[in-house]
Amino acid sequence: MPVSTVQDSSALLFNTIEDIRHILDERSYVADEDFSAALFLLLKLGKPLLVEGPPGVGKTEIALTLAQILDTKLIRLQCYEGLDVNAAVYEWNYQKQLLGIKLQEGTAFTVEEKEKHVFGSEYLLKRPLLQSIMEEDRAPVLLIDELDRADEEFEAFLLELLSAFQVTIPELGTVKAKHRPYVILTSNRTRELSDALKRRCLYHWIDYPGLDKEMLIVRKRLPGIGQGLLEQVVHVVQQFRERKLAKVPGVSETIDWAESLMALGYREINQQAFDSSLGSILKSAEDIQLVRSEGLDAFKQTA
Amino acid sequence: MNQQAYSARGITESIVAFAQFARGHGLNIGLTETQEALRAADLGLLGDKNRFRFALKSLFCHSPEECNLYDWLFTLYWDTNPTDLRDRKNETRLQGMVEKKANATLVMLGQGKSEAAEEDAKTVTGANEAERLKKADLAKISEIDAAALEKIAEKLFREMAVRLRRRMKQDRRQGQINLRRTIRRSIAFGGEPLDLLRKSRTPKRQRLVVLLDVSGSMDKYSFFLLRFICALKENFRQMDAFVFSTSLVRISRALQLRRLDLVLDVISRQAGDWSGGTRIGLCLQEFRERYGKQVLNGSPVVLVMSDGLDTGDPMVLEQQLSAIRSRCKKLIWLNPLKGMQGYQPIAKGMKTALPLVNDFRSAHNLESILELENILEDA
Repeated sequence: MPVSTVQDSSALLFNTIEDIRHILDERSYVADEDFSAALFLLLKLGKPLLVEGPPGVGKTEIALTLAQILDTKLIRLQCYEGLDVNAAVYEWNYQKQLLGIKLQEGTAFTVEEKEKHVFGSEYLLKRPLLQSIMEEDRAPVLLIDELDRADEEFEAFLLELLSAFQVTIPELGTVKAKHRPYVILTSNRTRELSDALKRRCLYHWIDYPGLDKEMLIVRKRLPGIGQGLLEQVVHVVQQFRERKLAKVPGVSETIDWAESLMALGYREINQQAFDSSLGSILKSAEDIQLVRSEGLDAFKQTA
Repeated sequence: MNQQAYSARGITESIVAFAQFARGHGLNIGLTETQEALRAADLGLLGDKNRFRFALKSLFCHSPEECNLYDWLFTLYWDTNPTDLRDRKNETRLQGMVEKKANATLVMLGQGKSEAAEEDAKTVTGANEAERLKKADLAKISEIDAAALEKIAEKLFREMAVRLRRRMKQDRRQGQINLRRTIRRSIAFGGEPLDLLRKSRTPKRQRLVVLLDVSGSMDKYSFFLLRFICALKENFRQMDAFVFSTSLVRISRALQLRRLDLVLDVISRQAGDWSGGTRIGLCLQEFRERYGKQVLNGSPVVLVMSDGLDTGDPMVLEQQLSAIRSRCKKLIWLNPLKGMQGYQPIAKGMKTALPLVNDFRSAHNLESILELENILEDA
């Protein structure tokens, strides 16, 4: 098995940070210069990129966009509590194995041969992590989403994968990546990730965008939106974030809200529009109550 | 170590020196990071200062706090004009980086000792010394006994931690069939799955959040309770601990490093505010706002250790407690005063809190503290 981990030609197209920023912009992803720099290093150094930030600021989105840009496969692993190696790396297809054993009963194979057959690659179920390093044609983008939800044990396991890009399956041997995947890890910071893992990654913190940037993002996503509505929506959302809300709305909620207002046919936010669509921006009963009690006018004022 | 870029000779040297400089100021940078910084410089990022800065940022920082520190360090290192600054000794010290030697005296021990109280404790005549001490009210123990008790406590707490761990490993008989192992084994029998191997349910580690009141009124209790928290930390890896009196301090990190002296230091620095009284409600509010999102995840067990003598607004306390209650699996309140004869939870704070807690227990002597083990075991 060839053990080359050379960069793909597609990644070599980007020679400067500006290139990356430009092409992200084309794909409707608004990235700051510092984020473009982090992505540039991800492509050039082949180091995994850990993206942290509050929910709904486009952490997952960047992996999707990157896969599009590189014209490669996106392999996604959603983390959850109790996620184990079997669900993340590989599992044997037990039912098929049992069947295989039964079918071989009459044959003259020795026990060793039977074993070898049953633990062959056709009985192997590849889970996302194994898939990502067995990719034949080109390096895929591997998205490990919401890593903070997984257990610490899993994090420790990831360390091995992220540094060597190889997986050892006792029955088959070691599989080493032909093409080193571009790894993006995301975390909402519901718990602190281990220092060891962080040190293996590039780090970028995405925060809620400022007024101008958020307007730019919403415009990119919803090209049909009127300027008046856009300004109002983004301004009100920015005001929301100032309040002590239980669930602070992210950019994706802003887009949702603007979209639902457009779908409802409003060209500006008035009381009726506010009341009927609040559910698409605020996702907690207390928050809605709080905002209602303050009234629309409190948020519309420009400070 | 160079303090500014101008004093280095070449670009490589100044980058290496910058890495050292940043490391000296608390960023976690090793050789790998330095190497990668050089590689990044090689990729043509040097042309633009901002780009270079952002690139190194993603290499050198690992949390938003570090990002802020980095920005400051970067400016300090690369943008300082030689005429502005003579080569000074490294005076910039960051809070928390200072190695505090254990000069923190045990603030809670041995204060307000009284003869009468000591006798009171001694009247609990029991089988032997250890038994007596275990039952003695912690507030009424003499200094001599305190040393002995500390030893006993340490031993008992350690035993408890071991017991808790062991119990979590049992329970192998039940659970789903582990097909992987079963099939592996069946090969020895020519493919007949004779032995059914089962998956032991991996014990879900319960998360634990401890909030300890270290105000003056908790005085001596808090020292032993702190010991207890340390012992718990051994078992509950996902544990977060906070101490509060007038304000809230997170001590998880110090506990992880087993630096009890650091914790005591923090507490003794706070001791000045004792006269202000405990504001439980406000501290809980601070807890929720600053750490709630991070700590109250995955329905933890929340343990509040306080005497409930609150000088704040009971409305705030009620509000905060019910908010915490809605996000945790179990809310346990330990009150050392409960062990007193004839104690009634009539203190303003305690009265408000009582309907909201799942379990209300005493924690006035070692025995009662150790009883907690049973609750936490099936927590």
